[in-house]
Amino acid sequence: MSIEQQYQARAKELLSGGAVKMVIGYGKGTTGNRRRPIFISSPDDVGRLVLDDSCIINLSGYLVSEGLLSDEKRVAVFLRPEGIRAINILAAESQLDADQIVIFGFDVNDNELRALKGIHVEEFADVIGSIRENNPGFADKELLEKIEKMTAQERFAFWQEEFAKCIKCYACRQACPMCYCRRCIVDSNQPQWVNTSSHSLGNFEWNIVRAFHLSGRCVECGNCDRACPVNIPLRLINHKMAVEVLGAFDHVAGMSKTQEPVLASFKKDDSETFIL
Amino acid sequence: MSEPFEPKIIAFVCTYCTYAGADLAGTSRLKYAPNVRIIRLPCTGRISPMFILKALQKGADGVLVSGCHPGDCHFTHGNYHARRRWMVFRALLDFIGIPPERVKYSWISAAEGVKFAEFINSVTEDIRKLGPFEQYSQLIGDTQAPASL
Repeated sequence: MSIEQQYQARAKELLSGGAVKMVIGYGKGTTGNRRRPIFISSPDDVGRLVLDDSCIINLSGYLVSEGLLSDEKRVAVFLRPEGIRAINILAAESQLDADQIVIFGFDVNDNELRALKGIHVEEFADVIGSIRENNPGFADKELLEKIEKMTAQERFAFWQEEFAKCIKCYACRQACPMCYCRRCIVDSNQPQWVNTSSHSLGNFEWNIVRAFHLSGRCVECGNCDRACPVNIPLRLINHKMAVEVLGAFDHVAGMSKTQEPVLASFKKDDSETFIL
Repeated sequence: MSEPFEPKIIAFVCTYCTYAGADLAGTSRLKYAPNVRIIRLPCTGRISPMFILKALQKGADGVLVSGCHPGDCHFTHGNYHARRRWMVFRALLDFIGIPPERVKYSWISAAEGVKFAEFINSVTEDIRKLGPFEQYSQLIGDTQAPASL
């Protein structure tokens, strides 16, 4: 039995027994290798679930949809290791109760699909622990090195060109499981922190703030990159910040559901060299 | 225009230490560069990175952030939180291409009037040497340009 069939059977069992009220998974998309999120609440519909190496979206963001978990019923969701880390972060930030989440874990290595054993987030500790040791990192390492070697002026020019493409559609924010604020800072107009129009200044501010708010929280699932209609290398900035946070605070986001958020905690001996 | 460049510098300071230190510099009749505009806040923990971006957005050539030494925070740990935030934010600004020389951080206590005056003077000199933040003012200029058709 394929993993897809196993998971379909498990979804059917959970839904018909009432153990979960909904299964969030992948369904067929508009073209051959596209997958779209589907939300199944009837056991008769489990046949629509698809699982293959094209299932790359991180679905964890749907769990914080308003009211979804407030009836304290369980919800099942298909997640790759990044998604499981996202659950840990959301739980650590009190956005959801991890016990309400039933995980259908899977991963894809070299186009080969494999199932990850476990139901609740704690059971995947080994899988996500290995990310800490050997972070695959989706970011374009060559480009990262190239940018790091630039002078400040060149870097500014590089990002100016990239951000000039931004149309402020906020698809990166909508796609990100970590961007759950009821009212995003860019939606605030009293005071208005970020210029709303999509000129370079507003684009700079938006992209800086977005990256800052994701520092130490991003799981590098790549939802933002894929959502960006103008292909700004957003994941690259997030990856850079993850590297910085690891170096400065020995922190990798989403390792457990009780991990303290890095910017909401401190150590008395955090060491820096730049404060005069 | 042959007027020498006078940098505009915004300083975000906490009221319990650095602001009191600035006060001490004043009452001690210490002279320091008049380029700095001080904004007083309850604590460095209250200084959101948005403030720094806002200062740049409004045309500042440099930004200073200063508060109580670690361990001396009036609210016991506001500055420890601020320190972490600065560490991350500074790295981010650097990566985006905003030179770290333009955003400076310090700990200045209420007793350090001399340190305050020296800090302001040295930062003003550094930024005077760097010149106006042209790349950023170009961005600001773009916002005023009429939309091209």
